[in-house]
Parts: sequence; structure tokens; C-alpha cells
Amino acid sequence: MPNVELLQMTISEMAPKIQNKEVSPVELTEAALAAADKLQPTINSFIKILHDKAMDQAREAEADISRGNYRGPLHGIPIGLKDNLATAGITTTLGSKVLADHVPEEDAEVVKRCRDAGAIFIGKENLEEFAAGATSNNPHYGAVRNPWGLDHIPGGSSGGGGANVAAGVTFASLGTDLGGSVRLPGTFCGVVGLKQSFGRVSQRGLMVTSFNGDHIGPMTRSVADSALVLQVLAGNDPLDPSSVPVPVPDYSAYLGKSLHGLKMGVPSNYYFEMLDAEVEEAVRRSIAALEELGAEMVEVSLPAMEYIGALRISAMADGIVTHEQFLKSNREDYGPDVLYRTIPGQFVLGRDYSKSLKVQRIIQEEYAQVMQQVDFLITPTAPVAAPRIDAKYITMNGEEHRVRGPGSSLISRCTSPFNATGLPAISVPCGVTKSGLPIGMQVISRPFEEGLMFQVADCYEKVSPSQGLRPAAFVGA
Amino acid sequence: MSISNETLKAMIRDYNGLELSDDELELVRPELDYYLDELKKLDALDLSDAFSSRLLRFPE
Repeated sequence: MPNVELLQMTISEMAPKIQNKEVSPVELTEAALAAADKLQPTINSFIKILHDKAMDQAREAEADISRGNYRGPLHGIPIGLKDNLATAGITTTLGSKVLADHVPEEDAEVVKRCRDAGAIFIGKENLEEFAAGATSNNPHYGAVRNPWGLDHIPGGSSGGGGANVAAGVTFASLGTDLGGSVRLPGTFCGVVGLKQSFGRVSQRGLMVTSFNGDHIGPMTRSVADSALVLQVLAGNDPLDPSSVPVPVPDYSAYLGKSLHGLKMGVPSNYYFEMLDAEVEEAVRRSIAALEELGAEMVEVSLPAMEYIGALRISAMADGIVTHEQFLKSNREDYGPDVLYRTIPGQFVLGRDYSKSLKVQRIIQEEYAQVMQQVDFLITPTAPVAAPRIDAKYITMNGEEHRVRGPGSSLISRCTSPFNATGLPAISVPCGVTKSGLPIGMQVISRPFEEGLMFQVADCYEKVSPSQGLRPAAFVGA
Repeated sequence: MSISNETLKAMIRDYNGLELSDDELELVRPELDYYLDELKKLDALDLSDAFSSRLLRFPE
């Protein structure tokens, strides 16, 4: 099989071939590195490609497997790491000039778990500066380009990972999601983006972030692969107080199960109020498809969403505290979008911060009640398909909305509520626009019920109009 | 609702904040406006009995 065809497969397809020694991890890693080198000038998805270290890992994996020590589905699989995840002995820049030479001493917990599972790290992936935005137009390392339309953003902040998975450079990439930063590259790049329950995966080693709602999750080319990667990442980390000591089920066991008897909640307010017409049509079609698959649709109301914008107030305050020391010492090294979006946090009053956290609680309680009425929710992932890289504004419902920098919030309006609630959410491709840009929908389940979320997403994926579609910038194209 | 540049400069001075020139104050204005607009929406919301947030936890 030509190397390029190997890269077009999913983890679920590739893993048995590695286990059975039909495919060599060394050969596969060489192919992935060649693809990374070839596509880097086009999509700019990496900050650093780890040629030597990846080959060392691949040779080790091959030797292990030849000795009969197969570790599981990620063994020998090339993956990418967002460059805000600490990697021991490897620069971790966070897409910033401030930390351009920063070399952590320890791996992030998720990196350690993937390393222990035998995954091979192809490179550190490009992102929005300090992961603080939804475009991945990085002022220091260049804009990441969307493989489906090179003049369009891949979404952010984990844009390099989304672009790599879509283009076939990596089989999976680990991103981080504080307001949609895994799911937005998922929807804009036509791949699966997962933000599991808050507390399901350790945040330790995720750098320069807010404690309140950040998650590390995978982007993959299938729902089944998402389940396989979460299986490796999930589990309590005694050194991370935000992780929760609950059992981790076998996620793959939920795949292929019927949706009959499940209640599907579709919000009657907020999520469908500010939406591009093509996105709405695609998501409504997906809802109809889920009904045909056996789910019973129930309209649900979320009136407290009227106040969701107030959560940005606590995020502003968290942001200034997170960046304060860097801003004092290296302010000139910040790009203007992150700088002038972060500094206003210094004006947030303690009273307003407290109000913001109380609104968050009210919204959490409302979702908890709704999730007693239904088994899962369906929403759009983003209100629009990927904007152009040079777009400063999006016009929606007659109003102009900033795409990035101070005052921007439109792109993440459907994803950020699930960071605030901590509910698990997965973005699944559900079609493309007339201009060929991917559209995604979100499946949301109860806390720690990722299995059911995978069940729904997997069932839908098999009938999605996105099945078989590939971007223009794809390995072998 | 708006906050004047004079007030912002006084806050920076008195609370040992990060300095901003007049031009920079205009650059942060969209984010500040967003903050104030969202705050205004809370005027009619009684938060006196609301708990503060804690992300959902599995029963332990």
C-alpha cells in the first residue's frame, strides 16, 4: 500500500494493521513527517516538526511491537500536540514570542499518557497566540490555513491540529478548549472535535490558562477515533484537583448502538437565533436524520442563556491575572489582538466578577434540569462556516461582529456555554456550504456520559453528508 | 453606560495597573463596551440567592 494511502486511514483502521505487523510504525512515521514537510508551506500547521524525536519514538514502537509488547490502539500512531501542552525537553511556545524559548522540564499529564500508550509525536502545532482566540492567525508564527479553503481560518485556538487532522498529516491532534478551541477547528476543518466533561481529563501541564473551564481534548477523523483517544487521556490525576476520581468506561462499547428510546433536546432559544442560513439548514437536516435513526425530538427552553455573555466578565478577570507577570515583563512581545483583549481585564470590579460566577451557576443549574428531560442536546457548533483569514467582521442579523481581538465573541457563542457548564460536547461534521466549507453540529450529554455522546455522534456520522468528503489540501491530493 | 478615559486612567494610577496611552484606551474600548453591555443586562436579575459557580461534579 502506498504510504500516502496509509495516512488517509483512521486510527481504528490503522491500529489493527500495526498490531498485526502489516504496517511498520517507522514507515508510517516517515510518511507522516514527509506529509508534514510537504504541507507546512501551504497550511502552516506546525511551530516545530519533531523529525528526530518522532523517528526515535517510531523505532522504539516498532521494536516493542516486534517483541510482542503491543500497548493498544495508539501504539505507533503519529499524532500532533498543540504547542501549549508542556513537553519535556521540547520548546513549548504557546504560540507566543514571550515564551519562544521556553523548554518545560516535565510532560503534561496528557502527553505522558499518550507517550505511555505508544503514540508518536510528529510536532508541536500552531495556534492562536496564547490560545486566546478563535482564528489561529498567529502574529509570530503566521496564520494557519484551512485545508478546505486556504484563504480561510481553520478555527482556533487549536487550528494547527484541526488542519493537520483534516489534511491527513496526523491521525489525531491534542488541542485545548476554553471556549470552543477544539470544537471550532473541528467544525471549520471538517473533523471531529471533542471537549469531554470538565474533570474527566487532567489539565496538568496545560500552560497559561484559566482554571475555570479549560479542557484538553482530541481532534480526529472519526467519532470512533475520538473514543479511542479519550480512552487514553481519561482518568483521575491525583496531582490535578480539577480531575475527578470516577471510573472510565469502555467508550468503544457504545459505538454502533441504536438511538431508539433516546430523547434528543433541541433548544428553542439562543443556539438557532444567530446563525448563517446554510449552517442552520445543515443542522436542521441532521436533527431530522437523528429522528429517522430513532431519537425522539423534544424542544427545550434555556431562558438563562440571555445572560451567558456575562461569563466573559470573569474570563476577563482570569485573563489579566494569568498574563499579568508576562505583561509587566514582556508587553512589547504581545500581538495587538491578545494584548488589547487581555488588558481590559484589569478594570473588572470584584462585584462584577462575583456576578459573573453566579450567572455561571444559574446557567449550570438550568442545563442540569434540562438534561433530566432529555438524554442529549443538539446545537450548531459555530454560527458560520470558516471566515476568511483577512475578515475583520462578520455580518449577522444586520449587525457587524468582530472576528478576533477585543470585543469578539460570535464564533464561540455556541461552544463556550459547555465550557461554563462543564458538560461533554463533541462536534461532528454535518455537511458543507455551497462554497465547499465544512459545517459541524454538537452533541451534548450529561456530565461523565461521554459514552452516550459517542453513541449518538457515531450513529449520526454514518449517515452524515460529510462522509467521504476530503479537503483540497489532503495528503496525496 | 461607559467609563471615561479619565476614570480608567485614575484606576490604572490608583490600583497600580498596566499603563495605557489614549490611543491604547481606544483599542481596549470594544472589550470594555462588551463588559459594560453584558453587565447592564444583569440589572433586572436578582443574584442575591444564587450560589457561585462550581463546575458539575460526578457524585462522589
